[in-house]
Amino acid sequence: MNDRLLLGRSIETGSWVHKLDARSKILAMILYLVIILLAHSWWAMAVLAVFSVSVLSSTKVPLKYYLKAAKPLRYLMLFIFVVQALTVKEGEALFTIGSFSLHEGGLRLAAFSVIRMFLLITFTALLTFTTRPAKLNQGLEGVLTPFKKLGLSPERITLMISIALRFIPTILDESQIIMKAQASRGADLKELPLKEKMRMLVSLLVPVISSAFRRAQDLVYSMEARGFRMDAPRTKYHRPAWGAADSVFILMFVIMGVAVALL
Amino acid sequence: MAIQLQQVSYTYADRSLWRQTALHDMNLDLPQGSMVGIAGATGSGKSTLLQLFNGILKPTQGTVSVLDVTIRAGEKPPKLLPLRRRVGLVFQFPEQQMFEETVEKDLIFGPLNFGMSPEQAKEAARKAMTAMGLDHGLLQRNPFHLSGGQMRKAAIASVLAMEPEILVLDEPTATLDPVSRAELIGLLERLCREEGRTIIIVTHRMDELLPYADRWVLLQEGRLAFQGSGAELAADPAVLERCGLTVPQSLRYWRAVAERFGLTGEKPRLTAESLAERIAALREPGGSAAEMRDRYE
Amino acid sequence: MKTIHSDSAAGAAPDVITLERVSFGYDPEHPILHNLSLSIPRGQWVSIVGPNGCGKSTLVKLLNALLPKSDGEITVYGHRLEEETIQDIRRCIGMVFQNPDNQFIGATVEEDIVFGLEGLCLPYAEMEERLQAISAKLGIGHLLEKHPGELSGGQKQRVAIASILAMKPGIVIFDEASSMLDEGSRNELMEILQGMRAEGNYTILMITHDADEILASDRVLALHGGGLAADVTPAELFLDEELLRKCHLREPYPWRLARELQKQGIPAEVPASEKELIDRLWPSNFSK
Repeated sequence: MNDRLLLGRSIETGSWVHKLDARSKILAMILYLVIILLAHSWWAMAVLAVFSVSVLSSTKVPLKYYLKAAKPLRYLMLFIFVVQALTVKEGEALFTIGSFSLHEGGLRLAAFSVIRMFLLITFTALLTFTTRPAKLNQGLEGVLTPFKKLGLSPERITLMISIALRFIPTILDESQIIMKAQASRGADLKELPLKEKMRMLVSLLVPVISSAFRRAQDLVYSMEARGFRMDAPRTKYHRPAWGAADSVFILMFVIMGVAVALL
Repeated sequence: MAIQLQQVSYTYADRSLWRQTALHDMNLDLPQGSMVGIAGATGSGKSTLLQLFNGILKPTQGTVSVLDVTIRAGEKPPKLLPLRRRVGLVFQFPEQQMFEETVEKDLIFGPLNFGMSPEQAKEAARKAMTAMGLDHGLLQRNPFHLSGGQMRKAAIASVLAMEPEILVLDEPTATLDPVSRAELIGLLERLCREEGRTIIIVTHRMDELLPYADRWVLLQEGRLAFQGSGAELAADPAVLERCGLTVPQSLRYWRAVAERFGLTGEKPRLTAESLAERIAALREPGGSAAEMRDRYE
Repeated sequence: MKTIHSDSAAGAAPDVITLERVSFGYDPEHPILHNLSLSIPRGQWVSIVGPNGCGKSTLVKLLNALLPKSDGEITVYGHRLEEETIQDIRRCIGMVFQNPDNQFIGATVEEDIVFGLEGLCLPYAEMEERLQAISAKLGIGHLLEKHPGELSGGQKQRVAIASILAMKPGIVIFDEASSMLDEGSRNELMEILQGMRAEGNYTILMITHDADEILASDRVLALHGGGLAADVTPAELFLDEELLRKCHLREPYPWRLARELQKQGIPAEVPASEKELIDRLWPSNFSK
């Protein structure tokens, strides 16, 4: 019941980052992605790391929460490191055993890839930790608005995301209960051979899916009953306000980008 | 004892930042063959408690003994699959766990998992249908085409088909209409009285179970607030209010009559029918009402 | 946009809902509702009862066109329900459904309450005022920032009611809204309903099996087999064993007790409390 706490749940500390407009945070994340791709030297990496840690610290969210965000991907990172280190044969060979050889360039590239990935995951966690889902969603709508001309409907996309955010935890909870119910009927996934497992999966999926459809139907009724119509005009309760702090925030990332590109 | 808990605590997400203790230091004895009601306000730990009974959850502290199986905190538990057959756990809205295209297939799912032969399983399914008051003709129907009440009963039958010695149900009557609720409680009582099964029911509607339960367990914020017989509960209804529950009307009326005539040692009359009979007896010449009047005059 | 006023001039309460020979069904051979005619005056609290599958839920969903009627005429506040009037009629009718989880649209309580208000295109100040007023009234002011996952079923249902009342509908429909709640939350819902009645601004339609809820209402519409089986007062319903059986209902405990006492040959009116029963049965000189 507690796993969902990390999913789209903000941690309120009232820091200046929390108070920023969600749009500026989303833009900053995009800029950060670009900066990461621009960083190609140890110096650039070091400067970027210092910058990242200071921004993360200024959110007043304990740093271990950010580390936790990267934890599920630790094996993927290890895998990428090993594969890159073993396959990229650039620079001077450090040592060779039979057909295996480890090169200085490969090691460097592997390290860069993992550092990039690590920085990206921990840093983007800032977005969800410091922004309430509702605000995040509105920010996204704001960022997507320019794409309206291309036939994209920001309202539809954000409605979809907000309903998903709202119902995913509920459906996960429910799946857990159904799993327990079926385990009580002797279908314990953990204690069965693989062939049986597939059959048992049906006993979980059918109830979970049919329940999701039932919820969808109920939700449609209650939205329509409250007068909702797709693409009908609406006013907005939360009106994002771009302030000086938001401009400063974005400027920091731009400067960082330039610095990293030059290093 | 069918189920015994000794100093049991249960904590969700024990080693995480979000640890949350749902049950504290529970000692509980539920005798074999009894009909037990469990009540408590939302969040008092009722659902957690039920899941300890068949080893779906394992205690973080203390010892849970169910039938002849003992689960101790911190120790590797014995094989739990056999226990799960012997303790049938029916979750809330059990119809949501049905998934096969016929009622029969859904009913034999459990029995087959526990190693019954297909013939045995089908026989068990038929017996379970009878016990739940369902027509055998429904076996070949799609469970999703049954009425709400039938689907609920079929889902309970799908657990009953495992032929458990203990049947544990989490709010089995929720969202049913009053007639179906009374009928279902009646069926469960028969399972207890006629087949000797231990029946444990979590309920939000104490009034409907009050006339039938031998024992009551009341929870308050994860702690045991009361355990004892229905008569003991009837003698001290204040404990219900302490647990954030309202005293059922049938109990209030019985208390009023009992207090008036000093019947407190007597078996509580918790149905309208039995209370009316008792009142009639009291009003007869020579009944205790007359006795009392004599004494007062 | 033309607006339908919920508050028409006072006087003998005019009908706010009328149905004339309304039918609904996918299969004309087996309609779910058949030729139903009824009318409901303003300010009435109506219980809609009947066994599962009798069409109760269908009936209320027809009123604001969540389901399309197949025949007949529905009028709400004097306006015929047609394609052009659907949105206006929906503004006058609020609906609270059974499952507290599935009608929670927003990611937080605040968002859920403003969801409907945004659809009404209200200016910010008005939304803020309504949000604060309704959350104070229903005692959920401290929950505004909460996720549905942090709320109990009863709290979620309270939020659903707040979301609907914030839109200021004249008619509020409860579709088995208490059946998934625990005892405490059911009592709280009852208090909210009593408060709504005391305010006098609402016509209440309530689908329910709950004897206490039925007892609190003004009128009972019993549906059976797709038609209206009875249009009675709660007292008439609870005295009619045949009708109770037909609708899968039971009377409140004191009513049942009075009936059992009568069977024992003891004439007894339905007692209002246990004390009243004792006093009436033994109007004795020794009561102290």
